[in-house]
Amino acid sequence: MIASIKENDELQMNAYCDGELDPPSAIEFERRLADDESLKARYNRLLSLRRAVRSLPQYELPPGLQAHIQSALDADGPGQTNLPGPVVRLGQAGRPRQRSWSFQALAAAAVFGAVISSSVMLTIERYNLHEDVAREVVAGHIRSLLAPQPFDIASSDRHTVKPWFTSRLPESPQVPDLAAQGFVLVGGRVDVVGHDPVATIVYKHAKHTVSLTTLPPGQSVSDQAIAGYNVRSWSDPEFTYIAVSDLPSADLASFERAFSAGSPAPETK
Amino acid sequence: MLGKRPEGSDRLSGQQQASVPIVQNKDERAVFDEVFLPHMAEAYRLARWLTGNAYDAEDVVQDAALRAFRGIKSFGAVNARAWSLTIVRNTAYSWLVKNRPKAVVFTDDLSAAEQQELEHEGPHGTRIETPEEIALFKADAEDVEHALAKLPAQFREVIVLREINQLNYRDIAEITNVPIGTVMSRLSRGRQLLIALLGDRE
Repeated sequence: MIASIKENDELQMNAYCDGELDPPSAIEFERRLADDESLKARYNRLLSLRRAVRSLPQYELPPGLQAHIQSALDADGPGQTNLPGPVVRLGQAGRPRQRSWSFQALAAAAVFGAVISSSVMLTIERYNLHEDVAREVVAGHIRSLLAPQPFDIASSDRHTVKPWFTSRLPESPQVPDLAAQGFVLVGGRVDVVGHDPVATIVYKHAKHTVSLTTLPPGQSVSDQAIAGYNVRSWSDPEFTYIAVSDLPSADLASFERAFSAGSPAPETK
Repeated sequence: MLGKRPEGSDRLSGQQQASVPIVQNKDERAVFDEVFLPHMAEAYRLARWLTGNAYDAEDVVQDAALRAFRGIKSFGAVNARAWSLTIVRNTAYSWLVKNRPKAVVFTDDLSAAEQQELEHEGPHGTRIETPEEIALFKADAEDVEHALAKLPAQFREVIVLREINQLNYRDIAEITNVPIGTVMSRLSRGRQLLIALLGDRE
């Protein structure tokens, strides 16, 4: 006798299908999917439903509606009182005959609006970008924990790790050994963030792994928790650093202090 | 051509202006054009699904545009798309309540209708099917469209926002003004209902 599918499974399956599960749960779910025939069949049915819904013909914006709205707005200038007047139905008699100049207004407004707000949009985009960066860095950390080793080069010798980076990457960070402060250098790896390979230095603190990913300078990633991992970021003129670990954020803060103190200013070399 | 550029817009080119109240000191119309217009096609698509027909959708989009324009000061420079679609969604429902009161089927999340639907469909909701029973359905587009149109509004809207507008849970939660957990359970139930409805046709 098969146990009935729990409500929670259904939610998980949907969230996985929508790409909304955090990485550890997604991995866990994939493992179950591989083992459970019934779950897999249900999941496939969900996928086929999605395909069916997504392949529905898309309703297209009726031509002229946008221009029509533009001219309706022209008539509703900010100087006027906000009477909730009836909306003019497209195609009805009595349609305003202001089309020609409303197109001009549209063109002017488009140029005008584009100039002003491009920087705003850029800001918004940049914000999203940084959040994506944080997520990618955390994903790199999670992947590394699942691999047999969280690093590509295992060494507690900074004079081994630093040249290893130098030979692979255009920019390589200082690799201080922070064993005295409780953070033991165990190695380094190359992560890919966006499309760029970047250096990640790996430290151990007690049983915990700290991944320190180094990005080009000038990015601001907010300190946060993603998928159960704490993220802490800071910058110097050379790099933006993102530390990821399951350590409490207070410990990551002391890691930042130790690293910043232990990493000599770049101009000394 | 840019003679009308309002005061203060220069400052916006600085990168530090993360959370400027962009509406201040600016031409409301320009803000509207930037915020709402780019999402017009999506707005129409959503309105089309929520109202169920093209004429109503046009009215709703026009009404929503007007509301957006008049309320452009409340736009907080966070997510223009979600903000615009929220207005469209709310406009659609108030429009429906006013003009087609019989067409709005809003049920409670665990409504009798849904319960009945699930029970009526037999095994789907109550018992696990064997893998052999879980067939991929081969519904044609017309069936799918019909089934989706038949769903109670709160299930239909999350499925449309997710699959047609392809928004993430956070945005859907913002637009429909419910917690993410509710979005998740409505999506899950909505899809189960759709599967049940489509299964019915074979």
